[in-house]
Amino acid sequence: MLEHILSILIFFPALAALLGFVVNKDSIRVYGIAVAGMEFVLALVLWGAYDPSIAGMQFMERMDLIPAFGISYLLGIDGISLFIIILAAFFTFIGIATLPNLKNIKNLIITLLFLQMTMVGVFAALDAMIFYVFWELSLVPMLYIIGAWGGEKRIYASVKFFLYTFAGSLVMLIGMLFMAFFYFQATGVWSFSILEWYRLVLPENIQLWLFVAFFFGFAIKVPMFPFHTWLPYAHGQAPTIGSVILAAILLKMGTYAFVRFSLPLFPDASVYFMFPIAILAIIMVVYTAMVAYAQKDIKQVVAYSSVSHMGIIVLGTFALNVEGISGAVFLMIAHGVVSGALFMLVGVFYDRRHTKLMSDMGGLAHIMPHYATIFGIMMMASVGLPLTINFVGEFLCLLGFYQQSHIFTLLAGTAIIVGAIYMLAAFKKVFFGNVVHEENKNLPDVNKKELFGLIPLVMIVVWLGVYPKPVLGPINNSVESIVQLMHDKAVTQEAKSVIPDLTKKVVISETIIEEVR
Amino acid sequence: MEMYLYIALFAPIVGSLFAALFGAQPKTPIVGYVTSALIFTSLVASTVLLGAVMDGEIVHVELMTWIAAGDFYVPFGFQVDQVTVIMMMVVTLVSTIVHVYSIGYMDHDKGYNRFFSYLSAFVFSMMVLVMSDNLLGLFIGWEGVGVCSWLLIGFWYHKESATWAANEAFIMNRIADLAMLIGIFLTYWSMGSVQYDVIFAEAQYIDHSTLVTIGIFLFIGAMGKSAQFPLHTWLADAMEGPTPVSALIHAATMVTAGVYLVIRCAPMYDLMPEVGYFIASLGAFVAMFAATMALVNRDLKRIIAYSTLSQLGYMFVAAGLGAYWVALFHLMAHAFFKALLFLGAGNVMHAMDSELDPVKMGGLFKVMKVTAILMIIASVALAGIWPLAGFFSKDKILEVAFSGEHYILWGTLWVTAGLTAFYSFRLIMLTFFGEERYKNFGFHPHEAYKYMLYAMSPLAVLAVIAGWFEHQFVDFVTQMLPTFEFHTHHVEMILILVTSAIALGGIITAIVMYRNGPLSTKWESQFAYKVLINQYYIPQIYEKFLVQPYRELSDIFWKQIDMKIVDASVDAIATTFYNTGEATRGMQSGNLSTMLKWMVAGLVILLTLAVAFSVGYIAIIG
Repeated sequence: MLEHILSILIFFPALAALLGFVVNKDSIRVYGIAVAGMEFVLALVLWGAYDPSIAGMQFMERMDLIPAFGISYLLGIDGISLFIIILAAFFTFIGIATLPNLKNIKNLIITLLFLQMTMVGVFAALDAMIFYVFWELSLVPMLYIIGAWGGEKRIYASVKFFLYTFAGSLVMLIGMLFMAFFYFQATGVWSFSILEWYRLVLPENIQLWLFVAFFFGFAIKVPMFPFHTWLPYAHGQAPTIGSVILAAILLKMGTYAFVRFSLPLFPDASVYFMFPIAILAIIMVVYTAMVAYAQKDIKQVVAYSSVSHMGIIVLGTFALNVEGISGAVFLMIAHGVVSGALFMLVGVFYDRRHTKLMSDMGGLAHIMPHYATIFGIMMMASVGLPLTINFVGEFLCLLGFYQQSHIFTLLAGTAIIVGAIYMLAAFKKVFFGNVVHEENKNLPDVNKKELFGLIPLVMIVVWLGVYPKPVLGPINNSVESIVQLMHDKAVTQEAKSVIPDLTKKVVISETIIEEVR
Repeated sequence: MEMYLYIALFAPIVGSLFAALFGAQPKTPIVGYVTSALIFTSLVASTVLLGAVMDGEIVHVELMTWIAAGDFYVPFGFQVDQVTVIMMMVVTLVSTIVHVYSIGYMDHDKGYNRFFSYLSAFVFSMMVLVMSDNLLGLFIGWEGVGVCSWLLIGFWYHKESATWAANEAFIMNRIADLAMLIGIFLTYWSMGSVQYDVIFAEAQYIDHSTLVTIGIFLFIGAMGKSAQFPLHTWLADAMEGPTPVSALIHAATMVTAGVYLVIRCAPMYDLMPEVGYFIASLGAFVAMFAATMALVNRDLKRIIAYSTLSQLGYMFVAAGLGAYWVALFHLMAHAFFKALLFLGAGNVMHAMDSELDPVKMGGLFKVMKVTAILMIIASVALAGIWPLAGFFSKDKILEVAFSGEHYILWGTLWVTAGLTAFYSFRLIMLTFFGEERYKNFGFHPHEAYKYMLYAMSPLAVLAVIAGWFEHQFVDFVTQMLPTFEFHTHHVEMILILVTSAIALGGIITAIVMYRNGPLSTKWESQFAYKVLINQYYIPQIYEKFLVQPYRELSDIFWKQIDMKIVDASVDAIATTFYNTGEATRGMQSGNLSTMLKWMVAGLVILLTLAVAFSVGYIAIIG
């Protein structure tokens, strides 16, 4: 079973979703929980079977699809993708388990299971075409979730989400086609295998063009400033479960793709664009943090804070050293956990009062002490308190980038100040003071179902904050081989000097490196 | 010995978690007892460790890996040496006393359990801060005490002023923490580690300008936690928290963390006297600056808070000038008498239904004799009168300044010593002596619980005798810290006399001026008074030039830039496509004659292009 575990992880939820159409409406919730639970167990099995000492791809599967163009069904994971897959399985599980009573819940659960297929597929794919297919397919369930279960402006928000990200992806697709073409030129055979692309050394000017093409697809997904405005609408209109999955997993596709595609394929271009991207990242961090501070809707605060944190991830990625990239990948997990939890917490209040405006809250710590405590822990994690999960990632991202630029790190480091400002201000408005609204006086505290989702998240936040090694170790191993690959492949002297030489053997793929003429 | 280290470190967090189990419930008396007992356990373990270190045993353990990525590696490592063990003793001793005191002080508070949970968590963070064997471990404690401080300042979270002050403290500290992080980054990239033993050994070999940069950034971090100018405003506002919190966190322990950092990094700061001199100058300035604000203030706790600020300035002078042991000595002595002073103020507050204006008190000596005596002892110690603790420690700092021929620093500190004595006794006189003004306001003061007074008494004893152990203290800590050469033997007695004279002068002036109660309100209209009572207008300046612009800019970023520029241009692109489609829809109406018209138009355009291109092509080729 283990040799096909990735395929099982991808298609089991999809098949179960198909079967879900014939399941009775009353038992669909149990059915969904069971399927997502099994998927989560499978993901844990995957973790258990994963060998952390190997840096390269594991559990690889291969099946030719269109041999003439070198398109194959190629799967495999390393330390970078492993934990995002586990996170996706985990969030789908607790997401379905804590769903409130919504209309058409059967369709929602089936949609979520389809969404899970696409998420796992994106992170397990090692063939660019397979990756692209899952990448685009993931838009459909989310379009449906926002459009069918969203707020007032749900149609506008979902169409905007779909078209915006889709437009970026098309540019990325053109980049992929060109990449395959260059590979064909160099070797005489077509291939869309990322691992084979890794072996290709491209001249710098071609790298630059391809980097830009890929960048559009990834940057809109992240979303990077100034391509971020679809996100507040999507979060603002999406139901809680949509926001949780969107923030925890879907955004990570963009930053993951930077690590999987941009860095190892175009090392010289990555060095060339390092500072421009760092500037965008810093704008993301500071500007969106300030915008978050101005918000009146608590969900928008969390949404903008997501963008701000993604800025740190992008910065860490483009530190181009092991510390920074490992930190960025770790922060993807950390931010997934924390922002997912924060969206769930916002949902807790929304389910009770059907409002997200902070002016409708106030003094909630008196009425819902457990809610306030969990929110407080997640808030502290979000502002990067040491011994919480976020700190490890944020610290390493900034530490990594410090090697490239002192002043940029100082500017990006203001994240810990501006982050504290909007978070503490929001917390004060929601939880402190006296209860001013009569309707709030008898609100029940978090119930068992909600705790079922929140307590594990709190535990993860503390556990991985105190002892990040089980996750950071495998990530670090895989990142080292990527950094070494980048160093070996870089053509310009500048890039060679910026990307550290770890003098380690590259184990991602075979050692033959071909040159494009 | 490792076991005692772990007991000392982890007993407080066990207490905190235990209390947290009862967090949302109304008062559960056992919570207070259990947490106090566990802190006391920590104190006992620290004492055992003190004995071990005295015998020359340095305890060093590595619990487990924390962060390892690339070449970066940092474990949870703890080390108990001479400096650490002194800090541990101070922290656990004051904490134990404050815990026991709080059982009485928080008696009627509905957040009783929550309070003890936070307070013990604070002690744990503080222990991590002082016991870590690396800079990042210290940073854990550093942020941990910050959060506990946030929780405790905003403990009465229904009060707007309390939560505001809590956020202010946290955010202002965060500004300094960024600098500290940058210092840590630079340490790692220049010396390859953040472990103390490695970096202190490595420090002399690295580029001097890099070292200076590290020194400056770490010190900016220290300025936040120790509330040095210009990051000082949070400390006075932090007095919104319950008084035991002020005693423990905002007087005895947390605010001295900055001084501790400089003392801990003595091997580094010793290599950069220019940074040290800057630290000392800033310290002297803050000492005087804070003391002037204390002169006129009409809030019992704020006066003591400014006094703390001022004393922290003294410590930085000593540390900056290389007399690290003197700084540590004053840190210790100050912890005792300042905590005592705050707890005394807590008794007064309790007696006066949380009234803090000493002008509304007066004559309380008759009803609260013990509290009054304890506070007088603390004030005498603070003023630096022989033979109390403050005399030995503060006098040494003045001597350090004089010995280094920094006469301006010495002069500043000398004047401040007079101011210190004056404002301390102004407070004593207004509160405990003179006309019983509280009667006009309808208060019915009473003495605090007996066991609260008993709990305070060890501090009173220490405030008296701590200075007598100067020689043992020096011998002990200079096994690790550099010694300081005094060049003042010829004038030593004169210096002591001059300093004692101004302190006594301050006390006598205060007694004489305030023997009949507060001064007339006439001089409140004077410029100097207005400046001082408004804290040099610094909070207003921050509010007007930092907080408000930030708020307004945030609003502009959101409503004008994000919505009207960034998002609107995205929508504009989309609308263009949409409108183009809408406008050209007519072409495809299916009407045969329209379609034919467009076909002709298209044909003409294509033909024209074809001709134009072939002409151009021939022109280029041919």
